[in-house]
Amino acid sequence: MRIPPAVRRAAVLAPRYGWSVLIACICAVALAACGTKQDTLSSPGAKPFTVMLDWFPNADHAPLYAAISHGYFNQVGLDVRPIVPSETAEPLKLLAAGKVDMAISYEPQLLLARDQGLKLVSIAALVQRPLTSIIALPSAHVQKVADLAGKRVGTAGLAYQAAELHTALQAAGVNPSSVQEADVGFNLVPAMLSGKVAATLGGYWNYEALQLEEMHKHPIVIPIDQAGVPIYNELVLVVRSEEARLHGEDLRAFLQALTRGEQQVRANPAAAAALIVKANPAAELKLQTASVEKTLPATVPTNKSDPYGWQDPSAWAAFGSWMLAHGLIHSNPNTTGLPPFTNEFLPGQGI
Amino acid sequence: MRRRVLHALPAIALALALVGVWEAYVDLGLVNPIVLPAPHEVAAEAWNNAGLLAANLELTAQEVGLGVLLALLCGFVLGVLIHLSPPLRRAVYPLAVGSQAVPVALIGVLLVFWWGFGVLPKLFVIVLICFFPVVVTTVDGLAAVDPDQLKLLRTLGASRWQALRFGELPAAVPAALSGARIALAVGVIGAYIAETSTATSGPYAGLGHQINADINGLQTPRAYAAAVVLFVFAIACFYTLALAERVLAPWANRSSLSSTPYGPTTRGENR
Repeated sequence: MRIPPAVRRAAVLAPRYGWSVLIACICAVALAACGTKQDTLSSPGAKPFTVMLDWFPNADHAPLYAAISHGYFNQVGLDVRPIVPSETAEPLKLLAAGKVDMAISYEPQLLLARDQGLKLVSIAALVQRPLTSIIALPSAHVQKVADLAGKRVGTAGLAYQAAELHTALQAAGVNPSSVQEADVGFNLVPAMLSGKVAATLGGYWNYEALQLEEMHKHPIVIPIDQAGVPIYNELVLVVRSEEARLHGEDLRAFLQALTRGEQQVRANPAAAAALIVKANPAAELKLQTASVEKTLPATVPTNKSDPYGWQDPSAWAAFGSWMLAHGLIHSNPNTTGLPPFTNEFLPGQGI
Repeated sequence: MRRRVLHALPAIALALALVGVWEAYVDLGLVNPIVLPAPHEVAAEAWNNAGLLAANLELTAQEVGLGVLLALLCGFVLGVLIHLSPPLRRAVYPLAVGSQAVPVALIGVLLVFWWGFGVLPKLFVIVLICFFPVVVTTVDGLAAVDPDQLKLLRTLGASRWQALRFGELPAAVPAALSGARIALAVGVIGAYIAETSTATSGPYAGLGHQINADINGLQTPRAYAAAVVLFVFAIACFYTLALAERVLAPWANRSSLSSTPYGPTTRGENR
């Protein structure tokens, strides 16, 4: 374009190299971004299989990471990639949306999601019983649930945790309205340490309780299934119902490999904890090792003849009824549609 | 050199005083260290976890750099378009304002659904948070051009494009750069929000992600160490941009060059 010389003179002269520098910067950064690719350890031909965790990688996921690093998944043709969510409700949403192949979630969360019409099904239990606990510090003078009368209890603000607290209080003969519930979000332990709440419900006996133990705080820990809440599988592996119908082979292979991973964890808990720290460098080895060891008894079914990952039908039915009775869900999971879980893909099960 | 040290003195003194108050507050036992760790504990934690912090900072810095650049680009282009087209201004401006009220945690899962577990959803969040100050300052800067200068350009036979190129744009750049400085400072917290509201894969996922993990893992001192890194990074970004401005738009600060260190320049000085 021809620019009248007078315009040039009159204008505030912008050095043209300024713009070229800017554009060059943008190109450079864009190129740099393209260069940062993720390295994956996959054997050629293995089918990509994304598993969304329920939380940051931790001791609960030890069998998964053991199976990955020992190549058990690759041996059955799966290239398993764990994804870390930003919050606990995300995995089931992205699973339902088809963005991941499997999600690790909680039995109550799965029942809530199914109540919302999501076509999901649990294919195995990663942890057999509730990890969620009522935790208190000695300074709060809470030795048993009945001691909570008239005190303030912190929860992470989930509706089913409020119901769990309710049930525990009633089982202990405490009028629930005498206990004040406070939503403290993520900050369960700080809320206790700063004395803002007498106890919390939502921390895990294999995690928060161990952390407090490490800090020499001698916490009082009451797992909620010992306080009157029906037993449920704290962590379950969830897939889309359609996927279970169409790709049962993959799921069966996945669970076979996972079972071998669990045997590795059992054989060498310290090595399993080291793998967790490798996957999540922010995790602390000592705590993870303690947590892996503490969790082991809860990963196997009570009945020794049942395979790893077994989901007890009568326990699922009882917990579903409990959720229904507390108005957490609106349709009875035991009588509405297909069951929320299946054991058919576990090693030695199914047809 | 000595003058520079003297210039930095008030900042250093204030920072030291604040750290001193913080240290005393914790040491006097007025707060449980798990709620607020003492500065010396935070420093030790930063030292012991230097590798982890550096690896996470690298990711976060990339996100901030790319995200803010995209935000500048989008914001500036949108600002110019809004300036040129009043109907577009009426259509887009309310939406741009409203976009600042979108709770990112709500749309995080949607962004991941669209763009997966990589850097794209995070960039989008940073752009969403950062483009707004650039748009507003660009639009205001374009509107604030000296009317006499435009008249002169028109008298000299400049086309609309030439008036924009030689009259309005150079005059708007200083304002847009102010917007850029705000965007960059906000970009760091934008990256935190982005990392904590979108899913991720891989062992390192940025400082924001680490802070969240540490809050949950009761590793409060390390969470604070990461926060201090973000804090320093934001300051470093701000002053780096100030330096870059002198290269990119030397006319923006001709009058205020003598009065560095950097503070937001007042528009009036340039006329």
